[in-house]
Amino acid sequence: MNHRSLAFRLAVWYALLLSATFSLVAMGMYFGLAQYLRSSLSDSLRRRSVQVEEILRGAPVAIADAAIATAINTRVAPEFNNRFVRITRLPATVVYRSGRPADRSFDPAAIARLAGPWPARSASRRVATSDGPVMISATPIATRSGRYLVELGTSIEPMDSVLHRLLGLLGMLLPVLVACAAGGGYLLVKRALRPVEHMSQTAAQISVQNLDERLPVMQTGDALQQLSLSLNHMLGRLRDSVQASRRFLADASHELRTPLTVIKGELQEIVRDEECPAELRERIGSTLEEVARLERLVSGLLVLSRLDAGDAQREWVDVDLGELASSTVEQMRLVADDRGVQLDAVGLRALTVRGDRSRLKQVIVNLLDNAIKFTPRGGTVSLRTELRPGCALLEVRDTGIGIPPAALPHVFERFFRADEARTRDGDAADGGAGLGLSIVRSICTAHGAEIDVESTPGRGSCFRLKFPRPASLHSAPAPSLHAVPGSAPADSAPGRGAAGESREALAANAISRGEN
Amino acid sequence: MRILIVEDDPKLAEFVARGLRAERFAVDLAGDGAQGLRYIESYEYDLVILDLMLPQLSGSEVLRRLRGSHPTLPVLVLTARDATEDKVAHFEAGADDYLTKPFDFAELVVRIKALLRRTPAPRTDVLRIGDLEVNRLTQHVRRGGQRVELTAKEYGVLEYLLSSPGRVFSRTMILEHVWDQSFEGVTNIVDVYVRYLRRKLDDPFPTKLIHTVRGVGYCLREPEPRRQVEPP
Repeated sequence: MNHRSLAFRLAVWYALLLSATFSLVAMGMYFGLAQYLRSSLSDSLRRRSVQVEEILRGAPVAIADAAIATAINTRVAPEFNNRFVRITRLPATVVYRSGRPADRSFDPAAIARLAGPWPARSASRRVATSDGPVMISATPIATRSGRYLVELGTSIEPMDSVLHRLLGLLGMLLPVLVACAAGGGYLLVKRALRPVEHMSQTAAQISVQNLDERLPVMQTGDALQQLSLSLNHMLGRLRDSVQASRRFLADASHELRTPLTVIKGELQEIVRDEECPAELRERIGSTLEEVARLERLVSGLLVLSRLDAGDAQREWVDVDLGELASSTVEQMRLVADDRGVQLDAVGLRALTVRGDRSRLKQVIVNLLDNAIKFTPRGGTVSLRTELRPGCALLEVRDTGIGIPPAALPHVFERFFRADEARTRDGDAADGGAGLGLSIVRSICTAHGAEIDVESTPGRGSCFRLKFPRPASLHSAPAPSLHAVPGSAPADSAPGRGAAGESREALAANAISRGEN
Repeated sequence: MRILIVEDDPKLAEFVARGLRAERFAVDLAGDGAQGLRYIESYEYDLVILDLMLPQLSGSEVLRRLRGSHPTLPVLVLTARDATEDKVAHFEAGADDYLTKPFDFAELVVRIKALLRRTPAPRTDVLRIGDLEVNRLTQHVRRGGQRVELTAKEYGVLEYLLSSPGRVFSRTMILEHVWDQSFEGVTNIVDVYVRYLRRKLDDPFPTKLIHTVRGVGYCLREPEPRRQVEPP
């Protein structure tokens, strides 16, 4: 359970709130009941004391104490009623004291006399005895025969035990109730939030590529329905603005093409003119090189805008990545030789993926070109393809200048160039437009391929592409391919990339071609 | 040979017209689709260069209408849109060729000449320039009677340059003819191959045949016997 999830936090708050409320109610109940029991007990004691008072007032002046005792025993019957009665005459003569009650709930002899002055009016007090607490109600009475203090009492043990049991019951109920509240609250909130979860899952799958998708609208008629509608409206506006910016990119690139044609044509005409002074010709030639760069930039932007619009899937066929890689390596070999860079094709073998052949070739060309450009003389660029579980791996590794860690996350961004790379690139008059790697990434995205890059400055970089392979392609080449060690340098001598494929790989190639 | 250019950008139209006149074509200009159609109905043209993005009447519409009355008139379409489906659509609509802006004027001329030739040019098996001799059947290359070994791509570049001696071929043109578009905008592959070609073909000999025109491209021509002296 996620401790920071909304459901969890709501459930905790709900449980806390509920237990506080319950505790308040329980406290009120407990003290209210205690108060009620006590007052009803003292009321009954007071009624008894009125009886005793009547006996005392009704008696003749010189009534014998024994007569009082008889009257009380007859009319009040304290032992039988489990009551305590003690009558004290001023100053301290005990006229009567009841005996041990029938239920033996207290010992009358153990109940201490009232200390200090007598109260002016009837008052209750609690006396602890060894048999349990006793409540005593003391009432002063003045009669013709003198002043008396009438004390009536009863054990409050039963009352205490009721309160005790109530407390126990409440204490037991609280944790159960809190657990129910927390659990039920969690489930309820979770249930209420399920549409939100669903929405968030769908939303997570929406990217710039599929802005046409919409969140499921909850027909709940509440805030969630409102939320899903608002989010869908937002997606609509987002799609419109993305489309507008793509259209702008495409339109701007198109609009640049006519003036570029004119500039290029006019300048070329001047350069071709025999009468043009050599110095001017040089300067215009240099300008024309910039025009060519602008042209490449415009065409690169158009390629990107078309890939963004989902254009790569036009030709969707089975492509042998290994064969494509080895033939491209051969075409690039002279460029590498020219820069004094060794170009190796390592372990290239039949590896079928689905995609657009010319786009995939562009990926390999761009990666190799990039690697060769940033590898100093004497370095090595190696390309390998390999079958991995569920995917086809294409890897371009170089021993070049590398990419600083801070720049690494940005290498696929449009127009991005690491500073070191730029200085290294100074001699390349063709000056890449800074779009090569973003084109690579866009093509990979269109093919559902993952791309990642590792690099150590000064030691080299490695671009790794993982193409998904459809299930139907898995079975064919697998057994024979696994028998060939993946890292075996399958005779990668320059100029023999394709011929260097192992016999097994060629057989597998034939199988996979036959299958498709 | 009379050519009609239907193009709304006056500078582009002017530049193309001037270049084509220098190539000894008669050129008319129409600034929009309607005017273009009127010209086509009124005069006899050997070829029409048609821009697709035109005011009032779009290039596609002009193409559709003129195909009704002139089914065989060669039409070369100029456009800024180079998506493959556009190409297919316009070939289906009746364009004979298709050129994407920004194009090289040399490329335009090559395409126009190919369209006007109608029947394939008589193919000579042995091409010669100076003491260079290229046999297109055996792909053997000799210079001064001496055999020069070339790789397939080097031969491809040489044969393409030799297809029109004296014309300057841009890197883009060479790339598109000898390689494919995957290499476009990425690499100096053409320069590297031309350098290797020179090393084998020109370096051992006193007269150089491959010439660089900076900012434009490469051309194959004999050194002019009487070199013009630049005025002071």
